[in-house]
Amino acid sequence: MILILGAINDNFKMKSIKYIIIFIIALTTSAVFAQEEVVFEAKVSKKKLGINERFRIDFIMNKDGDNFNPPSFENFTIVGGPSQAINNSWINGVKSFSKTYSYFLAPKKRGKFTITQSSIEINGETYKTLPIKIQITAAVDKPKDPNDPNYIASQNIHLIAEVSKANPYLNEAITVVYKLYISPNTGVETWRELDNPRYNDFWSQNINMKGLKLINSTYKGEDYRYVILRKTVLYPQKTGKLIIEPLTLDVKVQVPTNRRNFFGERQMSIVNRTVAAGNRTINVKPLPEQGKPIDFTGAVGDFNFKVTTNKNELKATEALQAKIQVSGKGNLKLFKLPKLTLPSSLEVYEPEHNEKVSTNLSGMQGNISDSYTIVPSFQGNYPIPSVTFSYFDLTTESYKTIVSKELIVNVTDGPMNGDSNSNKDKAKVSNEKSEVMSISHFASFKTNTNFVAVETTNFFKSKLFWSVLLFPFLAIPLAIFVRRKKDERDGDVVGNRIRKANKLARKYLSEAKKSFGDKETFYNALERALHNYLKSKLSIVTIEFSKDKIQELLNKKTVNNTTVVEFNELLESCELARYTPFSNVEMQQDYDKASRVISALDKQIR
Amino acid sequence: MKKTIYILTFFLSSLCIAQNSALFDKGNASYNEGNFQEAITLYENVLNTGMHSSELYFNLANAYYKLNRVAPSIYYYEKAQQLSPNDKDIKNNLSFANNMTIDDIESIPEIGFSKLFKSVINSFSFDMWAVLAVASVLLFVIFFLSYYFSYSTNKKRLLFLSSITSLCFMVLTLTFAFQKYAYEQKDNPAIVFAQESDIKSEPNLRSETAFELHEGTKVQIIESYKKNWTKIKLTDGKTGWIATQDIKAL
Repeated sequence: MILILGAINDNFKMKSIKYIIIFIIALTTSAVFAQEEVVFEAKVSKKKLGINERFRIDFIMNKDGDNFNPPSFENFTIVGGPSQAINNSWINGVKSFSKTYSYFLAPKKRGKFTITQSSIEINGETYKTLPIKIQITAAVDKPKDPNDPNYIASQNIHLIAEVSKANPYLNEAITVVYKLYISPNTGVETWRELDNPRYNDFWSQNINMKGLKLINSTYKGEDYRYVILRKTVLYPQKTGKLIIEPLTLDVKVQVPTNRRNFFGERQMSIVNRTVAAGNRTINVKPLPEQGKPIDFTGAVGDFNFKVTTNKNELKATEALQAKIQVSGKGNLKLFKLPKLTLPSSLEVYEPEHNEKVSTNLSGMQGNISDSYTIVPSFQGNYPIPSVTFSYFDLTTESYKTIVSKELIVNVTDGPMNGDSNSNKDKAKVSNEKSEVMSISHFASFKTNTNFVAVETTNFFKSKLFWSVLLFPFLAIPLAIFVRRKKDERDGDVVGNRIRKANKLARKYLSEAKKSFGDKETFYNALERALHNYLKSKLSIVTIEFSKDKIQELLNKKTVNNTTVVEFNELLESCELARYTPFSNVEMQQDYDKASRVISALDKQIR
Repeated sequence: MKKTIYILTFFLSSLCIAQNSALFDKGNASYNEGNFQEAITLYENVLNTGMHSSELYFNLANAYYKLNRVAPSIYYYEKAQQLSPNDKDIKNNLSFANNMTIDDIESIPEIGFSKLFKSVINSFSFDMWAVLAVASVLLFVIFFLSYYFSYSTNKKRLLFLSSITSLCFMVLTLTFAFQKYAYEQKDNPAIVFAQESDIKSEPNLRSETAFELHEGTKVQIIESYKKNWTKIKLTDGKTGWIATQDIKAL
């Protein structure tokens, strides 16, 4: 039995034998009943096609007819045809006939269209085909030619980028895994990377793959095998929508063909195929603003933080290492370590940065540290203030702050920092001169003290101050005035005399006045006073003292007689008083008399 | 009224002195045993009675230094130094305390005449200068009057010269007193107590941070605004506003 399948599209030749057998059976059965029934039908090669594709429509009949009337093909342009094909075959003595009108059509626009009925007259009767609906879609990249090895390759090789998290936080590690899916009936010989994706806005690190492993899996429900080509860890450095550029590979693909070799095995044709992983968009969330510590420098992950020194006690000019270390998991290489603030009197060198970080699929792990070399030049206690380190914890989605302990470095031996305000150079000079201050160690407490009130009043600008300051100036005119007055009085002779006599009387009678009231002592004193006065005035000695002698002397000095008498009376009353009682009034009278006499005598004695 | 208060305070204070000495000795004992915190409380009890002394401040500062508390230590050393400016122990220990400070602020050294002038003025307190002025006034008056009343030419000449000299001396000391007083009015030092403080360019939180200061740094208070902000000046001439609670005036 021979089949002539000229009318059938060559493209279908490759379909499996199974289909052909079914087709033969169908044909034979139809041939059996061909004698009785007239069949007129329309067949299209595709019911759905892109606007840039073409299709074929066949109008097939099993009896020859006339007046073939094709449909209008309104929305299509006729690219080729109509072409007629007539098939006559004899199979097992049964004659079969078919006549086909073929048109090649190209669509004019997108949409769903109906190819209307066509009609033909066979044996005087009019037969019509069923209308056919055709869907025209947007342009297809390449008119799919199912037999094209390139097309087959494109259908059977897929490069997929798998992203671990589509909306990570800023600086949260995500991984991109590139998998090449290969369908079981194709093979891949080699590949090379055409375009390495540049991960702009990401910190990225590729994880080296050790050997390729073929893993059975499914892809869109079909059995596939895949190979992991590459793993990359990414840390987004920008918020918002970020695009991961595609990885593009040039793959040499083995595609099975319809041809078979001598042994009946399928021949494989080798096709170079470019596959790309397609753009992936990632939405990066910003870190929350709420509760963001001031010293946050962008560390995201899970960290430990510590500050250590290798010595707590040392001598001046020896070196000391202080280390700030952050260890754990997270974007270790992507943030700055907090700085150590140290007392200005310490000499500090630029820190040495150390990184011990390994990157695997879950991100960076390890520790980073800054080592400061510190050289103290003077003795004393130096605090290393506590340092705070803040990071964003992804598991709790909150900020955490670790505060290191304050450390104290004790510099036990060495020169003193002399003047606190002098700069270091000056201090260094004094070191060179080895000028050690008298006390070069920390002085202990003092044992003795005198307390004074905190609240004190100032002497300066007080009322007392101003008065004490200005009063002496007033003293100058006052003194001058007093002096003037004195001079004036010195010039006044008479007045002076009187004053002088009074003064004399006061001088001599002062003792008598003191013992006023006591008769005995009063008159003794009075007598002594009168004698003394005369003695000093007349320069005589007591032994020669008698009333007559006095009278004579006074007369010699031309003293008024009444005064002399009064003087004598006074002396008499002094003597008398020793024996007779005297009243206070009399005493007063005598005292007044005495002063009068003395002043009178003073005036008269030259 | 004022006098009675003075007298009263005098008596009270003399009463206190005995008590304070006991506290001081107790504080010293605690210090010697290493109970610095206890010593601090005892010393501060003395301060609370309104009495002070340079030694008390010194010991208090020492205790704070031993506890590595920079700011109060420097604060009390400065207090001690105010009361006895030439004490070597205070200077020595203050330099130890200053070693602990973080800020390194250079002071602009004074040179030539102004340095000399200042060192002369600073040699006495303004009260002392005032006393000197009063003394020179008295001297002047005595010399002048004796000049006025004396007769011999030589004597007169000498006395006149001395009186003029003492008058000049009086003017000088009075100027010094005023100058010293002005210096003391202008000199309002404070110690930064906050561990770290931002110095703003304006007295509000929005404004830019001009620089940072750390615990123990000595600053000069220039003025204050609404009690919350104080304008300060550093020895190197920088100025800025600091939150008032971050500093403590000496």
